[in-house]
Amino acid sequence: MSRWGIIGAIIRKDLVEFSRDRLWVFLSVLGLVFYVVLFWLTPANVDETLVVGVHGEGLEQALEQYTAGQAKGIRLVPFASAEELRAAVEGAPGTSERVLMGIAFPDDFLAAAREGRGGTVTVLVDASVPSETRVALSAFVRETAYALAGDDLPVTAPDQQTVILGPDRAGDQIPFRDKMRPFFAFFVLLVEAMALASLVSTEIQDHTVTALLVTPARTADILVAKSTVGTGLAFSQAVILLLALRAFGANWPALLLTLLLGAIMVTGLGMIAGAAGKDFMGTLFYSMLFMIAMVVPAMAALYPGLASSWVQAIPSYGVVQAIFALTTGSTAWGDVARYLLMALAWCLVLFGIGLLVLKRKVESL
Amino acid sequence: MNPLRVWRVLRKDLALGPRSPFFLWAVAIPVVATVLLQVVFGGLFAPKPRLGIVDDGASEVAVAYQAMDGIAVTMVADEPELKRLVEQHRFDAGLVLPAGFDDAVRSGAKPPLRFFLSGGSLASNRIVLAVTTIDLVRAVEGSAPPVDVQMEILGAADWLPLSARMVPLLVMFSLMIAGMFLPATALVEEKERRTLSALLVTPVKLPEVLAAKALLGILLALVMGLVTLLLNNALGGDVGTLLLAMVVAALMSDEVGLLYGVVSRDMKALFALFKGLNIFLLAPVVFYLFPEWPQWIPKVLPTYWIINPIFDVAVKGAGLGSVWIQLMIALAICVVLAVAIVSLTRRLERTLAAG
Repeated sequence: MSRWGIIGAIIRKDLVEFSRDRLWVFLSVLGLVFYVVLFWLTPANVDETLVVGVHGEGLEQALEQYTAGQAKGIRLVPFASAEELRAAVEGAPGTSERVLMGIAFPDDFLAAAREGRGGTVTVLVDASVPSETRVALSAFVRETAYALAGDDLPVTAPDQQTVILGPDRAGDQIPFRDKMRPFFAFFVLLVEAMALASLVSTEIQDHTVTALLVTPARTADILVAKSTVGTGLAFSQAVILLLALRAFGANWPALLLTLLLGAIMVTGLGMIAGAAGKDFMGTLFYSMLFMIAMVVPAMAALYPGLASSWVQAIPSYGVVQAIFALTTGSTAWGDVARYLLMALAWCLVLFGIGLLVLKRKVESL
Repeated sequence: MNPLRVWRVLRKDLALGPRSPFFLWAVAIPVVATVLLQVVFGGLFAPKPRLGIVDDGASEVAVAYQAMDGIAVTMVADEPELKRLVEQHRFDAGLVLPAGFDDAVRSGAKPPLRFFLSGGSLASNRIVLAVTTIDLVRAVEGSAPPVDVQMEILGAADWLPLSARMVPLLVMFSLMIAGMFLPATALVEEKERRTLSALLVTPVKLPEVLAAKALLGILLALVMGLVTLLLNNALGGDVGTLLLAMVVAALMSDEVGLLYGVVSRDMKALFALFKGLNIFLLAPVVFYLFPEWPQWIPKVLPTYWIINPIFDVAVKGAGLGSVWIQLMIALAICVVLAVAIVSLTRRLERTLAAG
């Protein structure tokens, strides 16, 4: 029998073994269904607008003109009376539209402001409105009064074109659920790594790998078979998931390559965990350690700019960033080349370590 | 039940416990989870607008911003660095205050405002930061605003930020791993390795073994629960009532763990139980994250009656008078669980005796 025939036979055996492990099959299927359901239940748009209720006689047009000159991000909802506005902020039943913030201008505000006379404006806020938004709302009221009184700004406003740095995503923010795709994809890869770790660990504990070596199969054949099974399972699960999440765009070959690199990386981790764990729980422990570390870049992708820069040193960073870029509009290979190179480098390291560790474990049996 | 024999088994478990991966998990996971959620990502769940400031002239605007609550302010060394960080969306906006800025504003010279916005920032954050900056510059100018603003806060007076509402999740996590997983895995491991049968050859009885495992779980759950509250700055309120609530919580978690351990044949069966049933035990904590959901639903789940007293005392500052009924309900559930454990233990004894 040729080497490839032997490897093929071991692969078939491993796949049958995996399918008999009902726990991991159940977790794999359950996970896929759960992620898909969660994805489609998550809102598809980003609410970046401050909705402010307003009451003020004769002010609606003035306020609309004032806010029209501002960047997107504020919507004024007129209310016929201060009482209606208060009820809307309190969330009383029967109100036309619930608002969390409201500004009740006194009836003579327009005239008083133009004449520079004093006056009291009541700002109503729900308890859940953050403190910085309350401060900004008060500031907005004061600036409105200054503008109506004809007072210029005490500074020279910057040119609009020089103010925005980086691609302007106002009104075109990436929805949270789109940012979840790398998170789910990498989680699926990691779960399959745990499955491979369990498979390897069981074979080592039960000494079936020793029994295999009595046959014409060599250690290298076993390693190739394990790598193929691990990579194949992880890759196929991730592809199925991203197909269900409609993640494949124009540059689908790049996304496939990224998933393949991710699958190879987690296969390396699975081999390390499987060889290191003395029993099921020990293997699970090591797998969970890897999972916690590897999932950090995927969580960081959910909130760009919030995580510390050391996250870039985590092996999964390149894979996650490439998936993120390719599923949120990037189509050029150049956009993801840096990430793919990072992922490739880590693949070589982790896969290499995994092969070495597993080889030594098998040979020590 | 001989306390001395229970102590001997407990001592053995304490000595060997740290070798178990789950013992290490029980100690490490609450800390790791808190660090990840509250520290690494900063204001992950309630992100504040982030402002970078270059202040070359000790401006009052920078001082006012740093004293302000609700905006994450970072002082940056120079303008090129600030622009780089704003472009990378490390900040929502950047403000450059050159030397002499405050004097120029006061003298009416109308200096240019060097204010940058990140393209990735939310429109609402842009407005908040822009308007606030102008307001602070007005304050430096010294002009009296043409209007007084009176703020009224309406709605629930006991509204809590999301970071506080995450505390039940983190506490529940530490209770489950330490109080539930540890005794369950310890018991199943002893069954798998047949050390339980070996132990029962000695004068030690099965209830004494279970009592020792239970004490280990309760002790660790209590310690890690308190550590979790400490890490999340949630050790408020009446300390005595909090300790009582934690003891009851540790007891219930432990009893569930023992039940799992007694009925599971091996680790895979145990793990399947964890995966299948723990979702119901964890479910109440989700309702803290979404207070607008119907709050009667979690009350039908047993773990609500241990987590809610802890939340009320530790986060809201309630006393024993407010939580004693909940604790009584939790203790009643513990009695029911204890009856189940006793019954299943007798069955396990018969199984072990039969070999």
